[in-house]
Amino acid sequence: MTERPYIALKGVRKGYRLGEQAIPIFADLNLDIPRGDFVAIMGPSGSGKSTLLNMLAGVESADAGEVSIGGARLDLMGEAARSAWRAGNMGIVFQFYNLLPMLNAAENVELPLLLRPIPARERRARVERVLDLVGLAGRGKQYPGLMSGGQQQRVGIARAIATDPDLLLCDEPTGDLDRASADDVLDMLRLLNRELGKTIVMVTHDPRAASHAQRTLHLDKGHFIEERRAA
Amino acid sequence: MTFLGLARRNAWRKPLRTLLLMFCVAVAFLIYGLTASFLSGTQGAAGASDDLLGVTNAAGRTLPLPMAYGARIAATPGVASVAPMTRLRGYVGAPKNVVAVSAVDPARIADVNGREFGLTPALMSALGQTRDRVLVGRALAEAQGWSVGQSITVTAFQMAKKDGGRDWRFEIAGIFDGESASTDTYFMLASYDYINTIRARGEDTVDAFVVRPAAGVSAATLATRLDGLFANSAAPTRTQSEKQFLEAFLRQYADIGLIIDLVVGAAFVTLMMIVVNTMVFAMRERTFETGVLKTLGFSRRTILALVLGETLFIFIVGGALGLILAKVGAILGGPMLGLVFSMAVLVWGAAIILALGLITGLIPALNAMRTPITAAFRTR
Repeated sequence: MTERPYIALKGVRKGYRLGEQAIPIFADLNLDIPRGDFVAIMGPSGSGKSTLLNMLAGVESADAGEVSIGGARLDLMGEAARSAWRAGNMGIVFQFYNLLPMLNAAENVELPLLLRPIPARERRARVERVLDLVGLAGRGKQYPGLMSGGQQQRVGIARAIATDPDLLLCDEPTGDLDRASADDVLDMLRLLNRELGKTIVMVTHDPRAASHAQRTLHLDKGHFIEERRAA
Repeated sequence: MTFLGLARRNAWRKPLRTLLLMFCVAVAFLIYGLTASFLSGTQGAAGASDDLLGVTNAAGRTLPLPMAYGARIAATPGVASVAPMTRLRGYVGAPKNVVAVSAVDPARIADVNGREFGLTPALMSALGQTRDRVLVGRALAEAQGWSVGQSITVTAFQMAKKDGGRDWRFEIAGIFDGESASTDTYFMLASYDYINTIRARGEDTVDAFVVRPAAGVSAATLATRLDGLFANSAAPTRTQSEKQFLEAFLRQYADIGLIIDLVVGAAFVTLMMIVVNTMVFAMRERTFETGVLKTLGFSRRTILALVLGETLFIFIVGGALGLILAKVGAILGGPMLGLVFSMAVLVWGAAIILALGLITGLIPALNAMRTPITAAFRTR
């Protein structure tokens, strides 16, 4: 018996309406990602990368087809259930970090933990652990406005893994970083994948970033046209 | 950090804007606190009793009643005690310094509402030593700077003496405090016999009888019974509770309650428009961040609660400040202006703070709650 993939998209159809005009994105998208995989998704603008990531995050729903992650059918969930699922099962890393400016690094990392029934002391201990993990030990009191892009992205990653989710979704995580910072972030993602077993799906334009993944899928006009595995 | 802490941090991200909003809220609740205290304390209405009855001339409260009515009222079943009262209105020094003297039978007034006025045996004894002595309420004494033993002259607006003069000289025998802060003590108690003997007109008449019903007797039933007693006489009566009496007295000039409600209502409506407008604008600025929070797993309800928490925080801080200032104002100006910052004023104030905080937060909160994540991200 074959193991059911961690992420499974079957016959997914998705499109948008622009006034009277229907704009199809996916007509029949299928995708299997096993648990613990690190997948990069590349493709030109408008190919559907962001829409795919949004569907995996439960931010957008498919018009038809199945979207299953870790056995949970996102396509059958309502908005409240998808919020709860995101809070417990997924972390997301954004291109522009998207940290809240009025909160310091530790408080930004603590945000998703507020949604879990965890005592304040344990929350603070967990925040310290993940900040230490991303190399920002002792920087918790610093505000995002006073940090470099690379440091802010580390805080973003710490926030994404604070709840210890199985799945990390990364939307161009190195798109706003210089080369050295980008390499740091990618090394960290690889570490999270290899050492902690996180399943990572990363959307990127950057072939160097994609080279850190175990598998790279090329998306064009709503179809996967190429798959490459790391040597 | 907690959800409340997050709401507080959101509110403080633009400190000047938040401080100005809190200032607006504080001013509105200062207006509420002072006007409600005025309404509560006007002429002792807050301390006025629903149980004490006032019997006046049905044709108008300025018209007299025969003193002889007192005996018939006292003999009526259900009456515990009755005291006659005539009011002498005048001024001390300047005409705008208006004071009121209630001419009463000392023993009977002590019987009827000596407890409410705080009339101790020592005070009553001091009052009875000579006929021209008066007991002065604490509020009036403090406002005028009077002390025991001082002689004062009240120039009556209407009540002339037999010698044609209108200057009434009194000696202050004591100062009464009233049972509580809400008791009106901005008047004097003089001896009815003294005034009745010297006045030029209206001898052996009174302006009102104050009646205390016997225990277990309904004030409303007794009022009807008393009015029935004099229904076919030359001077029919109108009997009301002390509270109704004072409220009706105030309504002679204007419906003060309605005016105050309109002023406070206008202040609150203006406040709501300012806060709603500002909060909608503030939330629109933060639409993107709302999208981020939702992506992290914050549910629509949590977002709603966060925005409501933020407006509540502004209202609670601003409203509490306004109510504290109103309380200070009532303490400082209370005796002169008749302000009584009662528990009811405080409780209503707190309820209005919560209600307005929730109502004003609702529009921006619903906007934030309903915005889809993808639409929120497009606002960057």
